[in-house]
Amino acid sequence: MKALTALDPLLEHRIRLGTCVLLAKHGELSFARLKSQLHATDGNLGAQLRKLEERGYLLSTKDFVERKPTTWYRLSDEGLAALESHMTALRALIDATGVGAGEP
Amino acid sequence: MTDVNKLQSDLDYIRGAIGEDATAGGIPALYFLWAALIAVGFSLPDLAPRFAGAYWLFAGTGGGLFSWWLGARESRRHGYNNAQLGRRYGLHWCLVGAAFLLCFLPLVLGRVTPEMGGANFLLVTGIAYSLAGVHLERPLLWCGVPMLIAYGVLVVFMPPHIWTITGISVGAALCWAGFSRRAALNADHTP
Repeated sequence: MKALTALDPLLEHRIRLGTCVLLAKHGELSFARLKSQLHATDGNLGAQLRKLEERGYLLSTKDFVERKPTTWYRLSDEGLAALESHMTALRALIDATGVGAGEP
Repeated sequence: MTDVNKLQSDLDYIRGAIGEDATAGGIPALYFLWAALIAVGFSLPDLAPRFAGAYWLFAGTGGGLFSWWLGARESRRHGYNNAQLGRRYGLHWCLVGAAFLLCFLPLVLGRVTPEMGGANFLLVTGIAYSLAGVHLERPLLWCGVPMLIAYGVLVVFMPPHIWTITGISVGAALCWAGFSRRAALNADHTP
């Protein structure tokens, strides 16, 4: 199936995909916010974010919020394009399998 | 090989993560602040008209700047930094400010009675808050609607002290939104 080959393997992990979707929606999120919203552990989230950063999908900056060191993440242009392409492939896959057919 | 059932499960997980969106809803302190500022500021034309202009110059500008600062601080404290949303807030309330200034025009030109002019502020405020509720913060919708109803009542019955009634209507509606938002936040933090 063509849609399957169009999926981005890096975004097939639910935490990596969830991170990109949340960042596309909110612009910039802190590590702590991503962790609480994705119900992830520090170690797992850190590892997945590193993979996205290494591929150039994420950009990070560090600063202080009320004297606490905070790491902020946002999607790069490359990450946004990859997410859009992955979501298009997902939609095509779901349409092809008929999942959700009949729902409003 | 990608498993469609796994994909479905992942999408459900992501939908859940997005559903727990803590940015929906506003800051109760700001609702109470503007309830007080508006109730006092709208009562002044009835009670002490010569102070109304100066009051709005300082309270309006100061309140706006304080709201911007508090909103940005709360957002960063909760781990959000959404510049696009910030621009939408700024544009919305700047347009509301411009609409308020335009409300003075028919009053200054003598095209409407002072009573009707006061009621017009309630109409603009009601629309501004209702639309903010649609596009920015849901609790504001539920205080914008009573303002619009209050406008209809004022225009039909034209009671005395219309500016004071307008201010108190807006203040009461904002307090209602503030209390309901605070209750929702407390419920979210209760284990």
